This record gives sequence, C-alpha cells and structure tokens, in this order.
Amino acid sequence: MTPVLEVDGLVKSFGGVTAVDRVSLRLEAGAIYGLIGPNGSGKTTLFNCITGVERADAGRVLLDGRRVDGLPPWRIARLGVGRTFQTIRIFPELTAVENLLVVTEGDWEAACARARELLATVKLERLADEYAGNLSYGQQKLVEFARMLMRDPGLVLLDEPAAGVNRTLLNDLLDAVRALRDRGRTVLLVEHDMKVVMGLCETVFVLDHGEKIAEGPPGFIQGDERVIEAYFGR
Amino acid sequence: MTITPQMLGQVVISGILAGALYAMVALGLSLIFGVMRVINVAHGPLLMLGAFATYFLYHGLGLNPYLGLPLVMVVMFGVGALVQRTLVARVVDAPELQSLLLTFGIAIALVNLAQLAFTSDIRSVEYLTASWTVGGFAFSKSRVIAGVLAVAITAGAFLFLGRTRLGKAIRATSQSPDVALVCGIDVDRIRMITFGLACALAGAGGALIAVMVAIQPEMGQIWTFKSFLVIVLGGAGNYPGALLGGILLGLVEQLSSLLLTAQLSEAVSYVLLVLVLLVRPTGLLGGRAT
Repeated sequence: MTPVLEVDGLVKSFGGVTAVDRVSLRLEAGAIYGLIGPNGSGKTTLFNCITGVERADAGRVLLDGRRVDGLPPWRIARLGVGRTFQTIRIFPELTAVENLLVVTEGDWEAACARARELLATVKLERLADEYAGNLSYGQQKLVEFARMLMRDPGLVLLDEPAAGVNRTLLNDLLDAVRALRDRGRTVLLVEHDMKVVMGLCETVFVLDHGEKIAEGPPGFIQGDERVIEAYFGR
Repeated sequence: MTITPQMLGQVVISGILAGALYAMVALGLSLIFGVMRVINVAHGPLLMLGAFATYFLYHGLGLNPYLGLPLVMVVMFGVGALVQRTLVARVVDAPELQSLLLTFGIAIALVNLAQLAFTSDIRSVEYLTASWTVGGFAFSKSRVIAGVLAVAITAGAFLFLGRTRLGKAIRATSQSPDVALVCGIDVDRIRMITFGLACALAGAGGALIAVMVAIQPEMGQIWTFKSFLVIVLGGAGNYPGALLGGILLGLVEQLSSLLLTAQLSEAVSYVLLVLVLLVRPTGLLGGRAT
C-alpha cells in the first residue's frame, strides 16, 4: 500500500549545522506515530520540511505517493496536511469561528456549518463568536486543533500537544487524536512527555543530531542503547 | 476676530468631511503595512494616477467624475496588483529598509513618468463648483460629495474585511502570515489583492479630489505624508485606527486654520505627529506588533 507520508533521505542544513541528516520515514494510514529526541535534534525542522515551511537541501517528501517537496506550504496544507504548533498560533483578532473559516475554500454555507460543528465537538460552541485572543490558553489550544481539522486532513502533525495543558484538556486532546486514527487518519506527533508517547503511539522515531537513530514500538525504543545514550549520555 | 458657534460648526463639519477622505486613503496605506509590513511611499503618487485617470475620462470621454469613480477604482486595483506582483513581492520578506527604498523608487518613477506623459501643466476638472447653503452654513458641493462617498467606500471596505471570506483571510494574514500559510491560505495572492485594494482606495481618493484641487504629477506626495500621519495617529496596521486618525487629522487641520494663521495651521498636523510618536508611538488605538 502507498504510505500516507514517505520521507526519503531528507537533508536540511543551516549554515554549517545539519539540522536534519538523511532522515527517512514511512507512515501508514490509520496509525499514530511519535517523533522524539533531545532538544535541537531536528524534530521541528523535519516538521517544517514536511509542511513546506523550509525547503530541504536534498531528499524527497511524498504524500500519498505524490512528491510535495518544493511546493509552497499553503498547497501542501490543501493536499491534506494539518499542523498545530508548540506555542499556540491562532489569529487573535478573529473570532473562534472565523479562525476556522479563513482556512476554507468552496461552499461557504457548508464551511460555516462544519466550523460550528467542529467547535461543538471541542465544547466551544458558546464561544464561537468570541475573539480568539480573549479565550483562555486551553480554549485557544482547542481552537487551533479545530482549525487544523477544518480540511479533514489525512495527515496530522502535532508539535507538543501536551505542553502546558491540564489533565482534563490533555485527555480530551488525546481522545480526539485516537478518534482521528480510528477514522483512518495518520498522526505524527512530537512530544516530550514520555507517558503520552508510550500510551498513544504505535511506532516511535527517535532523532538525535538530525539523524534517525531508532524506530520501533515504544517498549522496544525504551530499551535501545543508542536512545538511552542520546538522552542521558554515555 | 471673534469665533461664532456658526463658524465652529462649519469647521467641524468640514473637518469630518475632509477626515473621511483622509481615512479612506490612509486605510489603503494601513492595509499594505498590516499585511506586508511595507510602508508604501508610492501611495500618494498612486492617488495622483487616480486623479489623472478621472481627468482623462472627463475630458476625453465626457464621463462624469463620480460615475468614473468605480472605473478608476477597478483600473487602480489592476495597477496595484501588477505593481505588487512584479515589484513589491520581491522585497516583502526582506528587511524593511529594502521595501521602503523600493516604494520610494516607485514613487519617483511614477511622478517622473507622469511628468513625461502628461507634462507638469496644471489641469482641472471643472465640475460642481458651487456650494450648498444649509441653515447659514456654506459647503462646497464637491467636498460634501467627496466626504459622503469616502464614508460609503470606507464602510464598504470595512464590511468586506469583516464579513467576506477573502476579507477575513486578509485580516488573518496581517495577524500572522506564517500561520496563514501553513493553514492553506495563499499568502502571495492575499498580498497581491491587498495591494490592489489599497491602490483602489488611493485611486478613489484621487478621483474625489480631482474636482477640488489642481491636478499635476506632484499632487500626490502630500497625500503620502498625510496618510502616514493618519496611520501613526490611529496605530499602524490597526484598520479602525485609520478611521479615527483620519477624522482627527481633518478636524485638527480645519480647527487650526480657523484659530491660527494659514502657515501655522500647516505645522499643527506635524507637531501632532511628533507628539504622538513621543507620547504614544503605537498610535491612539494601538498598533500591531510584528
């Protein structure tokens, strides 16, 4: 079967530093993948290369078998790649519902209906017309998550979804991520909270100094010598 | 000289009418700054093009300047989109000095091309020269119509920004271009449309003042300064701020021309600019941080 996302030999350097060094990944449909590694190991750069924010120096990115490296970010987003950020990125001076509406094309009525429906699924329907900048941190996180779902992306990239989130909200978010997988969507998440990674991901990729040093089920990764070395030193 | 309430009333209404025009033109400058972080020094010269377009439509085709207004706006939208796509797009993500230099160059080029094509002769559109007298107030017809149309066009622009998907996308892009990009908004297209829209607003300004002032290639520069003053007053990139700043500038100009000599009243606006920059550099309504 064609993988949902295939990253093949990706290289990205900034000046003399190789942030991503010949990384290859294959993501199948309907699964949750984790991407872990110490700070500065290239996780966010890899996300940026997949979403087109950074242009890779070498290597290929294929979405459903189609090459997307070199396309502008907005095209890649329209091909069905959703992303959330480590620090919340919403449009503060648009209302919650407008935050969801601006990312749509096509039928306006349908978009409005879908936006309200998505806000209802994250229990924000009563705050739909409130400016996003006036919402609480957790609510903003939910708006960002709902906005990411507006296009019903086949591939979802989450950058530290658990960061700064309380227990209740975290459980809601994790349930939402599992629901995505159950609908056949593919999720790749960067996360520092190992409990979240272990409880959620079927496969984990480990980056260190831009290189993929391990790949496998969470239990297997935890015992891997190179991984332990990368995190704790020799 | 004694100032009667009559005079004061007339000055306030004139100030608001002039201010509406300032607000409309400055909204264009503010949009470009908000969406692209570009200070468009060519905004006034683009307004000048709108005035010349109105002149030639009037003298060449006999088109009523107010009926020509929508046409001028459409043409200027095209000019703006073209200028953005071919020139400004190259420097949008560069340091701010580069875009400033570029638009400065565009301004010089436009003025010189206009001198070449139209000569520096002073031209005019003689239309609606009389005044209306209402309850002891006398108002030049062209100024009243210009003020009213400017209010209507500005209101239309705000409705567009607030209600339509494209307008929301423009606001989203001005709040956070990189997020807009990752969400699937074609930011380059938004920037082109925004520049076109801003030039349409400048062009509308040119069309409306064509019937009031002398038309010549250098008529625009003062409008660059005034628009800049307006957005500094209201807060750069703050769209309702342009409205407040415009009305404020109109009132200050009119009041100071009543209370002071003509030479001094010119200076008052600039003193105001310096004061705002000193006391509240983000503008009265607050600007938008990068």
